[in-house]
Amino acid sequence: MGRLQAWFAERVPVTGDQFRELTNEPVPNHLKRWWFCLGGTPAYLFLVQIVTGILLAFYYQATPASAYESIRYITHEVNYGWYFRSLHKWAATFMIAAVILHQMRVYFTAAYRRPREINWVIGMCLLMAALMTGFTGYSLVFEQLSYWGATVASNLSDAVPIVGPIAKQMLLGGEEYNEHTLSRFYIVHAAILPASMILLLIVHITLIRLHGVTELRFADEPADKPGHFNFFPEHLYTEIIVGLVLMILLSALATILPAELGPKADPQTTPEVIKPEWFFYVSFRWLKMFSLTFAVLSTGFIVGAMFVWPWIDSLLMRVTKSRDISVYIGIAATILLIGLTIVEAVLEH
Amino acid sequence: MAESQHDHDKESSSTPTDIDDDGSRRDFLTTASTVAMAGGLIAGYGPLAAMAGRYLYPAKDHNDAWQYVAIVDEITREESLIYQSPSGARVVIARQGDGNTAGDFVALSNVCPHLGCSVHWEPQNARFFCPCHNGAFDATGKATLGPPAQANQSLKQFPLQVVGNQLYILAPLVSIVEAEPRSNMARCSHAVREA
Repeated sequence: MGRLQAWFAERVPVTGDQFRELTNEPVPNHLKRWWFCLGGTPAYLFLVQIVTGILLAFYYQATPASAYESIRYITHEVNYGWYFRSLHKWAATFMIAAVILHQMRVYFTAAYRRPREINWVIGMCLLMAALMTGFTGYSLVFEQLSYWGATVASNLSDAVPIVGPIAKQMLLGGEEYNEHTLSRFYIVHAAILPASMILLLIVHITLIRLHGVTELRFADEPADKPGHFNFFPEHLYTEIIVGLVLMILLSALATILPAELGPKADPQTTPEVIKPEWFFYVSFRWLKMFSLTFAVLSTGFIVGAMFVWPWIDSLLMRVTKSRDISVYIGIAATILLIGLTIVEAVLEH
Repeated sequence: MAESQHDHDKESSSTPTDIDDDGSRRDFLTTASTVAMAGGLIAGYGPLAAMAGRYLYPAKDHNDAWQYVAIVDEITREESLIYQSPSGARVVIARQGDGNTAGDFVALSNVCPHLGCSVHWEPQNARFFCPCHNGAFDATGKATLGPPAQANQSLKQFPLQVVGNQLYILAPLVSIVEAEPRSNMARCSHAVREA
């Protein structure tokens, strides 16, 4: 052992073997298929968001008087500002899509069942945090659509019994959108939510490592094939390849379809056609279909049911004597989700 | 040393009951000190958390003020006013009664009561329309279509008061962005036509 190595080993008393034992979890074979790596995908995109977000924060100013101008400056004046802003936008879109797909994969393979119920709840918290981050980030642009989207969303919370009006006041910093609102959105978007997501991710990954990944065997796999492979380096390589492909895709999209800047927010005039970000199309259409109270309470009920789904699923299995009941419910919910999203995307009003 | 030996002898000669007493006393003291520590932490950090919550909860601002609109006799049933406050908020002010009290007038907000978008007047349909969730209101501000109609909502009314023969409105003074410079008053021959 060299002197430097000895010096280091004395100060960090972990041997290579111990480190390998600690981290080299055997990974089930099904994770060689890329669509089972959808958990690592949002984690990688989250990293992209942190890096691009920090870069954008060097120029962004969270005040109504200067927010829009600072975004314009980033987009048109700063070297590669358009690229990093577009990367941030596209990575956000991909991250939310990946989180939703990851959750659907976990749902349809029933990987949330005992003893992984708590990790499903943590995953739901991460989904909510990701959606909130998307919403607050979109609002920071201070263009017409983002301003009115923020107004609609914050007024929505008024319909939530008891805590709704307080939550609205805390988020907006007043009764309605005012000069304090943007800085609140900014601190929630750039500090509170990312810090919470990092903590949740640590717990999420720790629980995955403690329980191990859910074992899935495919019918076409030979019985004598080894069921596992190593995390280091095989699975890490898969994740790095997924990351590289994503970065190429993000760069291509950022160049071909860069983030645009709509008209500046006008608090007196709602645009004739108003749409939120695509991941809120369902809620937006739902609000058009039903009264405010019903729409908000039913959404709250659905989200609440999603949080405790492992226990609902267990109850449903006992009552119906079917192990696949959740699959049928999931298919119906997915069709409704996609259907309402398409309807909202196609119709002007 | 002799004293220590004596203590040891005393300890080793304890009966099982004595040990139980010691154990339960120790348990009690452990529990009591844990509770006291938890209480101390709550008493110490609780007020700090409450103060932080109060700090984050917005203070009441005094954004609204009474603003002069017009001489009451100048507003007739046939002709309404579109008033624009310094914040840019557009308000339709119309006469409802024949008297000259505040109750004889109505000041309709252009903010949809559903989720806060701004409505605009559609002359071809004779209605206010909210583009966010397809809400519609008639000329008096009553909801006729969409989620506001389902919830039986109407356009919000601004408070009015008459001082002498002058009509005043309680409306916001400032906005988060500068209102476009335009005349703060316009007359309409139709009760709700926008200027």
